[in-house]
Amino acid sequence: MMIPDRSEYLKGLAQTGQKIMGVLPALYPRELLWAFDIHAAEIWDPPGEILHANAHLQTTICPIVKKSLEFILKDPDIINAGYLFPHTCDSLQNLGTQVKDLIGVSLPVYTFYNPKGSFNNTTIKYYRDILQNFQLTLETIYRPLDPEKLLTACELSHKIDSHLLAIHQARMTNHLSLSNEEYFKLMRAQEYLLPADYLNLLEQVDILDQPGESLKTRLMVSGILPPTSKILEFLDELGVSIVADDLLAGSRRIPKFSMDAPSSPIDYLTDRFFVLPPCSTRGGDLDERMHHISTRMKDSRAQGMLFDMVKFCEPELFDHRLLVKTLREKSIPVLTLETELEHHISGQDKTRIEAFTELLFDMVST
Amino acid sequence: MAEFYFAGVDVGSLSTDVSIIDDSGKVLSEIVIPTSVNGSEAAEAAFDSALKLTNLSRDGITAITATGYGRASVAFATGKTTEISCHGVGAHQLFPKTGTVIDIGGQDSKVIQIDSRGRMLDFTMNDKCAAGTGRFLEVMANRLELDLDELSSSKNIQGESAPISSTCTVFAESEVISLLAKNTPREEIVHGLQRSIVNRIWSMVTSIGIEGEVTLTGGVAHNKGLVALLEEKLGLTLNIPENPQTVGALGGAHIARRAYHISLESGTN
Repeated sequence: MMIPDRSEYLKGLAQTGQKIMGVLPALYPRELLWAFDIHAAEIWDPPGEILHANAHLQTTICPIVKKSLEFILKDPDIINAGYLFPHTCDSLQNLGTQVKDLIGVSLPVYTFYNPKGSFNNTTIKYYRDILQNFQLTLETIYRPLDPEKLLTACELSHKIDSHLLAIHQARMTNHLSLSNEEYFKLMRAQEYLLPADYLNLLEQVDILDQPGESLKTRLMVSGILPPTSKILEFLDELGVSIVADDLLAGSRRIPKFSMDAPSSPIDYLTDRFFVLPPCSTRGGDLDERMHHISTRMKDSRAQGMLFDMVKFCEPELFDHRLLVKTLREKSIPVLTLETELEHHISGQDKTRIEAFTELLFDMVST
Repeated sequence: MAEFYFAGVDVGSLSTDVSIIDDSGKVLSEIVIPTSVNGSEAAEAAFDSALKLTNLSRDGITAITATGYGRASVAFATGKTTEISCHGVGAHQLFPKTGTVIDIGGQDSKVIQIDSRGRMLDFTMNDKCAAGTGRFLEVMANRLELDLDELSSSKNIQGESAPISSTCTVFAESEVISLLAKNTPREEIVHGLQRSIVNRIWSMVTSIGIEGEVTLTGGVAHNKGLVALLEEKLGLTLNIPENPQTVGALGGAHIARRAYHISLESGTN
């Protein structure tokens, strides 16, 4: 399974004249963009040092926001159709305002204010409204929406979700022979591949008929992004398998269950948003999130939880303390790491991870 | 009947420690040397020195566990385990009622909860700053022109204490410079530094809680003033090992012994 390099792939696409919009994390109606032939290239953790962005942001802003702004300030050629800022957290919302009104970029800047809090008739109505408003915005810039194209986009999205659900399930039950690094590389390829290319990649994934070799240590991971590739490599070396996740860039983007094939696009998009797993960035009930995590841990037989926390990530930090407390009360071992999205792994973090592995291994062997 | 001997080699940032035990768990030799810049060479030197004290040769050691931040550099080890597990096992061997281990090491500090068999249940480590570690004290001793023994001998817990940051070594050093400029007595500064470390450790202790007896390990356990302040803060008497620096190495030796016997029983050795 060959996964194209993100930067090379997007450069190649831009050279073909493909419209590419830079999309900040995390939830947005990708199908609407696809229906306008716009490719969404998601910006989560672009590589490179943070230099110029620091001049515009407070020190206590998370590295996702800082790295994204650094990327935008470079005015990269691969982004040619503007930037979209979903309201994932206050920092990203403020960044959208700053880029649009204060810093100024040559490309259009769009915002998409996802509903927060509990899901009810009001939030559903609100979500339908903002979908239609976003459609109108795109229509004024491009062309009237072709309803058939939107339906096709929703069908493509539905197929991708179905594959992702099956792969996620296979990961939990050890029916997938992918290392931690390979698995999350596959999950994250959706951030930049054209949907048809991504679907093609997912179709190549081999789901085993029988469970694979017994796993030494099974771990669930929670947070915004998967651990960095260095940490994933290290976990692979230690024989630790991440069998389930509660990641915003992972399973929190996949509907909790298989949805019916779309017939009415707006209904489908609305339903899809509200059947995503509970998430700190959409507010909602922490008990529901805890229940969801417990179910995933049970289904995947995960022995412990790794919280990989992006530094200064407000929504996650609000939930983190209570999640840790509840897991500890259930005697589930918990390790919390803090990341600034650096591309190395510190000696201290290696020791933390290795010690946590020893703890889990001791638990299993007795 | 064959005799078996086991060793733990703890390559820390400040010191490299070796403990050699026999099959009954009796300690045959213990040694502590500075790590300097090369962990691998320090491990070789410390191991050879520890062997000399026992009249054993390298071939006479059945299994060796490497631990500490430089554990990967110990080429002659038969296994490696983190210092967190090793300190738990070592503390349990010395004080079997230990439920909580506080290890104040050279570059990091840990609070470890262990069960009645010495196995780790939970742990926490300090974050990226060296505040609350042995390195913190070393930096401050240099600034105060004291050696570590002088810094350790101050036990005036009722005396005045200069306020010093517990969150950052660099800030704390600046504060010490300011205090010296104001002619604050060194005794007060030392007391403030000890309190700073204790506050740092306290925040780690509260994050995972205290169970059972508490054993303090690592070279900082030699610091009488700090021990007195920590006992006052925790409201209990700490177990202080005779050689607090070698507890990790001792735990490593016991882990080597246990692993060897498990492999014998399972027929893999």
